[in-house]
This record gives sequence, structure tokens and C-alpha cells, in this order.
Amino acid sequence: MRILVVYCHPVPDSFCAAVRDTAIGALQRAGHETRLLDLYAIGFDPVMQEAERRAYNEMCADQHPLPEHAEHLAWAQALVFVYPTWWYGLPAMLKGWLDRVWTPAITFDINMESGVIKPLMTHVKKVGVITTCGAPMWWSYMVGHPGMRTLTRGIRALCAKRCKTIFMAHYLMDTSTAESRGLFLSKVDAKMARF
Amino acid sequence: MRVLVLHAHPVAESFNGHLHRIILESLTKRGHEVDDCDLYAEDFDPRLTRDERLGYHDIGPNIAPVRDYVDRLRDADALVMSYPVWNFGYPAILKGYFDRVFLPGVSFEMRDGKVWPCLHNIKKVGVVTTYGGSRLRALLVGDPPRKIVNRVLRVIVKPGAPFSYLAHYDMNRSTDQTRSAFISTVQKTMNSF
Repeated sequence: MRILVVYCHPVPDSFCAAVRDTAIGALQRAGHETRLLDLYAIGFDPVMQEAERRAYNEMCADQHPLPEHAEHLAWAQALVFVYPTWWYGLPAMLKGWLDRVWTPAITFDINMESGVIKPLMTHVKKVGVITTCGAPMWWSYMVGHPGMRTLTRGIRALCAKRCKTIFMAHYLMDTSTAESRGLFLSKVDAKMARF
Repeated sequence: MRVLVLHAHPVAESFNGHLHRIILESLTKRGHEVDDCDLYAEDFDPRLTRDERLGYHDIGPNIAPVRDYVDRLRDADALVMSYPVWNFGYPAILKGYFDRVFLPGVSFEMRDGKVWPCLHNIKKVGVVTTYGGSRLRALLVGDPPRKIVNRVLRVIVKPGAPFSYLAHYDMNRSTDQTRSAFISTVQKTMNSF
């Protein structure tokens, strides 16, 4: 499969970077073609400005404000997101990538009368989400796991009907140990090798 | 009270922009001292940088890159947020406000690896927001935007602080009637805030 890996962390040698490298290594070993989109490295601007907001509802595919990102979405048959969970959600950088790139006309069409949304990302059959959380698992679920749900429900709803999702998180990062991190990396490796 | 109003929408003439002006007017009329923090107008950069991440837990120096925003948050007695829900969450510019300004030593402290909330100067919270989709659609996803306010924000501010969460769902099919009803609700809530 052609897999777009969307990666978001400001520190090049962070644990998230190790997760990203492990995931990409396993995916390639399994014969997948991968493309890495490193949002901090390319200096992506996550803020949707006025002109873009005004054009949003009447967007045409050939007038997308970020054509190279639209092309990544058209190319991908699967998506893997790697990022740290901050305040239970996606870092602003990644949130803004969704806001600006996942627009009408290329990812969904909306019928303004019925409110029904027609997914346009049906060529994506699998969504993987790998993250790190400071909070414990029970509390993350108590607050609704907003970051996870944005991707595994919100984004997934725009993909293929039977799109599979994989979610992996290393919780309690602030008290993590070399052992817990190593264990997590080997789980990522095993899961991604079977992606 | 000193009320910090956080607003996040790029278009001033939008419905959210209109709600923002109503919030400011009503709170001022009520006699509050209002600090209007319009994140788009102030060109806030929501990206937590590499240096900020590396110095994140360094209480004191960690506020340097956003000192003005931290001071305004600490000076406030109440918080009102005005924004649209996009992709089941805050617009990136507002999400980044939390990422960069709600720092250790500002909104929480770490004790033995556990989080201790400390934004106790905030004694009242109001949220005015809009959703594109219906309430049912939001509920099926677990309505994360509501939970992040009612569960996460609630434990950070002063315990027992009153919260009001006002949301206009189904904006894509809204009518003049639904919008003006919502405006009255917002006005009423802010008039007695």
C-alpha cells in the first residue's frame, strides 16, 4: 500500500521521532511504499486565514489552497499519524493541517439542505494513530480522548466504508522509563509490520 | 471582575465574529473589566517551538516566549471563550494557545509525575461555540469539544467555578430563527455573567 505518514513534533531527537522511524522501518519491511510528511520540518502554517475561510464552503478541488498537500491525500491508500498528545488533543500544528488540508471538494462533499456528508477519501482503507500521552489511560478516556477521536472517528468517517483503525498510545510519559519506551517501540514495530 | 475573552475566528463579519462583539458589549455593560484577546487579530502563532518544548518543565523561564499572554491569563478572574468547532476540536490557533500558554507553573504543576491544577484565579468560565454538524453527530463522536471544556478545563480552574457551555449545533442548516435565538441566549448569559 501507499502510506502517508503524518508526523508532528518540534524536537528532532524526541521519543516521537524514534516512534516514527520504527513505524516507517516496519512498514517498509512489510513491502509498503511510504511518504513522510514532517509538519515542523516543512514549517507548515496551521492557521487558516480569512480568505481561505471565506472560500471554504464553496471550495473546488482545483482551487485548493495547498495543492501539494491535496496531492498527498490523493496519493495515499492509508494514513499513519505520529504525534504527542498535548492537552488531550492534537498539537496545534497537526490540528491546523486537518483544518486547512481536509477541506470540502477533496475530502468530503456536504449537502447543505440535508446536512449529509459524502466522504471523498474512500481510497484510504486504513488509519493508524500512534501517540504519547502525559495522562494515564483511564483519565484520557474520561475526558473523551479528543485527539484520538478526531482521527479514529472524525477523519476515519471520510475514508473507505470499512476503513480499519489502529490506535496505540504510550501513557504516563512523564514517568516513562527506558524499559517502557523500549517496550512501546517493539509493539509499534510488530503492529506496523502487520499493517 | 476582570474577564479574559479568548476569541478565535478569522472572519470578523462571521456569525462567530458577531457573537464575539455581543460578548464584549454585554460583559462591559454588566460592569466587568474586559480584556479582549482576539487571537487572529493579535496574529498569535500557535506552534509550540523546539526550544519551548525543551524548556517546557522549567518553571519560571518557560513563560518567557509567551509572557504577555501568561500575565493576561493570571490577571483574569474569569474566562470566556468564543470560537467555532472545526474537526471536532478547537481551531488550531486556539489549540495552540493551550499548548503554549497553559504551561507548568501557570495552569498546573507536576508533583511526583502527577498533575496538580493551579489556575485558581479563574473563578468562572463561559464558552460560546458553533458546530457545523448536528448534536447527534457530535454525540456519536463523544462530543470531544464539550468534554474538553467540562472535564479538562473544569479541573484546572478554581474548584466549583460555575461553567456555562453555549453551543449552536447544526450551523450548516441554521436559519435566521435559530441564529437569533442563540444570540439571545448568549446575550442573556453574558448580561448576568
